Amino acid sequence: MSASARLKLTARPARSLQELRRTIVSRIGWVACGLALLCVIGPLLDIVGVVAYRGLAAFSIKLFTSTSNGVTGGLLNAIEGTFIISLFGMLIAVPVGIGAGIYLSEYGSNRVGGVIRFLSDVLTGTPSIVLGYFSYIVFVTSLGWGFSLIAAAITLAILIVPYLARITELALRQVPVSMREAAFALGATEPTVVFRVILPGAATGVMTGALLALAISVGETAPLIYTAGWSNFLWNGRFTNEPVGYLTYVIWTFIDQPNAQSHALAFAAAFLVMMVVLAINIGVRLTVRRSTRVV
Amino acid sequence: MKLSNLLSRSTALRSGVAALALAATVATAGAAHAASTLVETGSSLLYPLFNLWVPAFTAAHPDVQITTTSTGSGAGIAQSIKNLVQIGASDAYMSDALVQHNPNMLNIPLAISAQAINYNLPGLANTHINLSGPILAGIYSGKITMWNDRAIRAANPGVNLPAHVIIPVHRVDGSGDTFIFTQYLSDSTPSWAHSVHYGTTVSWPAVAGGIGANGNSGMVSAAAANPYSIAYIGVSYAAPAAKAGLGVAALKNALGAYVLPNPATVGAAASSVVTITPPDERISMIFAKGANAYPIANYEYAIINAKQADAATAASLRTFLNWAVTDGNASQFLDQVHFLPLPAAIQTLSQTQIAKIK
Amino acid sequence: MKFRPFRLSLLSLSLLIPAALCAVILFLLIYSAPAIGFNGLGFVTGITWNLGDLYGDPVSVRGFTVPNGADYGILVFVTGTLLSSFIAILIAVPLSVGAAIFLAEAVPHHIRPVLSLLVELVAVVPSVVFGLWGIAVLIPLIGHYVSPSGNGYGLLTASIVLALMITPIIATTLLDALLQVPKENRESAFGLGATHFEVVTKAMMPMVRTTLIGGIVLALGRALGETLAVAMVAGGALNIMPTSLFSPISTIASFILTQLDSAESDPTNMAVRSLAEIALVLFVITLAMNAGAKLLTSGALNVRKRQA
Repeated sequence: MSASARLKLTARPARSLQELRRTIVSRIGWVACGLALLCVIGPLLDIVGVVAYRGLAAFSIKLFTSTSNGVTGGLLNAIEGTFIISLFGMLIAVPVGIGAGIYLSEYGSNRVGGVIRFLSDVLTGTPSIVLGYFSYIVFVTSLGWGFSLIAAAITLAILIVPYLARITELALRQVPVSMREAAFALGATEPTVVFRVILPGAATGVMTGALLALAISVGETAPLIYTAGWSNFLWNGRFTNEPVGYLTYVIWTFIDQPNAQSHALAFAAAFLVMMVVLAINIGVRLTVRRSTRVV
Repeated sequence: MKLSNLLSRSTALRSGVAALALAATVATAGAAHAASTLVETGSSLLYPLFNLWVPAFTAAHPDVQITTTSTGSGAGIAQSIKNLVQIGASDAYMSDALVQHNPNMLNIPLAISAQAINYNLPGLANTHINLSGPILAGIYSGKITMWNDRAIRAANPGVNLPAHVIIPVHRVDGSGDTFIFTQYLSDSTPSWAHSVHYGTTVSWPAVAGGIGANGNSGMVSAAAANPYSIAYIGVSYAAPAAKAGLGVAALKNALGAYVLPNPATVGAAASSVVTITPPDERISMIFAKGANAYPIANYEYAIINAKQADAATAASLRTFLNWAVTDGNASQFLDQVHFLPLPAAIQTLSQTQIAKIK
Repeated sequence: MKFRPFRLSLLSLSLLIPAALCAVILFLLIYSAPAIGFNGLGFVTGITWNLGDLYGDPVSVRGFTVPNGADYGILVFVTGTLLSSFIAILIAVPLSVGAAIFLAEAVPHHIRPVLSLLVELVAVVPSVVFGLWGIAVLIPLIGHYVSPSGNGYGLLTASIVLALMITPIIATTLLDALLQVPKENRESAFGLGATHFEVVTKAMMPMVRTTLIGGIVLALGRALGETLAVAMVAGGALNIMPTSLFSPISTIASFILTQLDSAESDPTNMAVRSLAEIALVLFVITLAMNAGAKLLTSGALNVRKRQA
C-alpha cells in the first residue's frame, strides 16, 4: 500500500519537536476514540437505566393481571397482544423465510436467485411506515378486514421475511459442500439432503434468524399503528375486524398523556419490550460467538 | 440428531398453535352472544370523559366491552365512516361534502365543551391575559411575533409582557380542537377566513419556531416544555395544564367583552344556539352573540354510522349512547372534565338520532 | 426430474418475497396515480401542504375534484428528511470511526466482545424506545442548556436520536473490516517508526475506506426511513423550511404517520392519494440509498449478516 510512503518518516529520528507533536496527536487521538466509544455506549446504558428505573417503579402484580382501562390499569392485554401478533407474524414468515433461504442457498446461484436476493434486500430497506400505509389501505380498508390481528401479522411478516431468508441462506451456506456430496453419494433425494443433512447442520443459524426476527417484531411500532389498532381487552379469537393491543402502542401514545400514571405505564411497557429484545439479542449473540469464530 | 430436535420442536409448536387458533375460534363462536365489543376513537378532548364513562357504564352493562383510544377528531370521523370503529369521537361536526358522500352518518352531541387558550409565560401563570381573535390570528400567521407586541399590550394595560418571541403550538393530527380554534379565528378575523379557512386540519401559515404537537396531551406537554409558548387546549385538560404552570387567557367575544372559560360563560354560548340547532345537530356555537358568551365552545359529537355490522352491535351502541346523554351527563362525570350537560331540547334531538342506529 | 416438485415449491415460497415487494410498489403507483397527475412537478418543489377547505364544497381543478385551495407540496418534508439524516451522519461517522478504532486496537482482547456486544445492542433498541428516551431525557436537556429559544423539539434533537440509532451500523461494519486488515500491513507501518495511532489512521483506515462508505450509506438508508423516534422529537413543522438547528422539522416518514388520519377527512380522497405519492418518494429515496450501498460495496452487507 501507499500507506508506508505517506508516512514520510525518517529512520530513527532524534527526539524532536515533531516527534513530540506526533506523540501528543496520538494521545489526543486515542482519548478522542475512547470518548467516541463512550458516546456510543453511554446513551445505551442511560436508556436502559432510565427505562429500567422508571419502568420498574411502575411494576406491580396488577400490571400483569389486569387489562388497561383508558390510560390506567394494567398491561395484560398489551402483553398478550404483542405475543399473539408476533406469533402469527412468525407463523406466516418462518415457512416462507426458511423456504426462500433454502432455495437461495441450494439452488439460487443463478440469475433468478440473484434477482430474488436483490429484491429481498430492497424489501428489507423499505421503511416500515410505507408497509404500514400499504396494509392500511389494502387490508384494513379495501379488503374490509378492519383493525385486526391478520392485517398486523401479515404486515409484520412482510417486514421480517427478508431477514429470515437471508440469515437462513447464510447459515445454510456455512454447511460444508462435502456433507451434501456425501449424502447425495449415498443416494439421498434432494428433500432428504435438505431436511436431514443441511438444515440440521445449520440449525443454530436458522434458529438465530428466527429469534432475531422475533425480536424485531416485538419492537416494531410503525407498521402496527394503522393495522392492529388498539384494544383494552384480551384478544377474543377473531382474526378480522377485532383490534388488538400491543406494548409499543402504549409507549407511543401513553407518554403523550399528561398524567404520571400513564407515563409510568409507558415506561413499564418500554421496559418489557427492551428486556425481551435485549435478552433475545444477547442470548443469540453469545451462542453464535461461542459456536463459531471468536471476534 | 439436532434436526430431529428442531423439527419435532417446530412441529409441536405448529400443532400447538393450530390447536390454540382452533380453540380461539370456537371460543369466539360461543362468546359472540355474550359480549359485544365497541371501539371508540377520535377526539382527545372527549377521551378523558370516555375514560370516566366506560367503567361506570360497563359496571352496569357487563355484556358490552368498550375500548377507548385517543387519536384525533379527524381519525374519529374517518374511521367511523369506514366502519373501522363504532364510535367516532369528534369536537367537530362533519362537513357538508362528507355528509353528502356518506348519508348514513349521524352527528350526535354528547355534551358541551370549550377550549382554553393556554400560555407558558414565566411569572404570569396566574394573570389571565386578554387575547382576541385577531391577536391569535396574528400570532398563528406570524404577523405578531413578540409577547410585548403593541396589539397584545393594548389589550392588557398594566401587564408587564416579556420581550420574548412567541412559540405558537398547533396540532399536527386531524383535530376538532383545530376545527373550533380556526373557526374562532375565521369568524373573528376576515383575513384568516379568506386565507386559511377552518377545518380539522388546516395549512398553518409559516411561523418561525412554531411547533406541532400530537393530541391535547401532546399540546400540554409541548407548551409545558417550551417557555413563551401559546397553545389551544380543550378544557378537559385544564387540570394538567394548570399543573404544568400554564396560564388561561380571557378571550374577546363577539360583543367585545373579555371572558374566561367557565360554566357561566360556556353555558351562555350554548344557550344561544339551543333553539336553532337543526335535527342533524350540525351547528357551530363559536363566537356566539351573548354579552357573557365564551367564544370557543362547542358540542362534543359522537360520529356514528347508522348502519352497523349487526343488530347486536347496534343495540349495544344505542344503549351506551342513550346512557351517555342521560346518566352520563351527570355532574359526577362532566365536572371532572369541565364539560356542561346537554340542554333538555338537545338531549331529545340526540336521542332521536340515536334511535336511527340499526 | 423427480426433484423438480421440491425445487419448485421452494422457488414459489421464495417468489413470495419479490411478490410482496411488487405488490407494495404497484399499489403505491396505482393508488397515487391521480395525485401524481394533479400535483405534477410542484409536488417536490412546493413548500405548502394544504388540504384545502375541507368544510367547503370540493371544486374541479385541471379536471381533478379536490377541496378548494388544496395544494400538496412536500419540499419541507424532503428537506427535513435529508437534513436530519445528513446531520445524523455527520455526528455518527466520527463517533463510530472512533469507537471502532478504539475497539479494534485499544481494548484488551477479553473485554472487546463485551464492548462490541454493547455497541451492537444499540442497534436493536426499538425505535419507539429511542423516542421515549428522547422525550424523557434529551428534550429537557437540549431545551434547557442548548437551544436559545428553550424549545427542545426540532432538527438537532431528531438528528442526535437518529445518529445514536445508526452509529452501531457503521461502527460494527468498520470494526469487522479493521479486524480483517492483514498483520503485515500493520507491522510494516510500525517498522517505519509510526506511532500506534498513526498506524491506525494512516495505514489501516485507507484500507477499509470502501467498507466504511458502504456502512455509511447503509446507515443513511435506515435514517431516512426512520419513523417513530423522529415523530416523537422532531416538532412536526408544516409549511416552513428549517432555518437553524433548533427549527422544528417534519420528515417524510413521520409526516405519513401523523397525517394519515387528517388526510382521510378529505371527501375527495386526493389527500390520501398524495400521501401515497409521498410514500412513493420515500421509497425511491431509500431504494437509491440501498442500491448505492450495494454498488459501493458488497462487503458491508455480508459483514452484518455474518454476525447474525
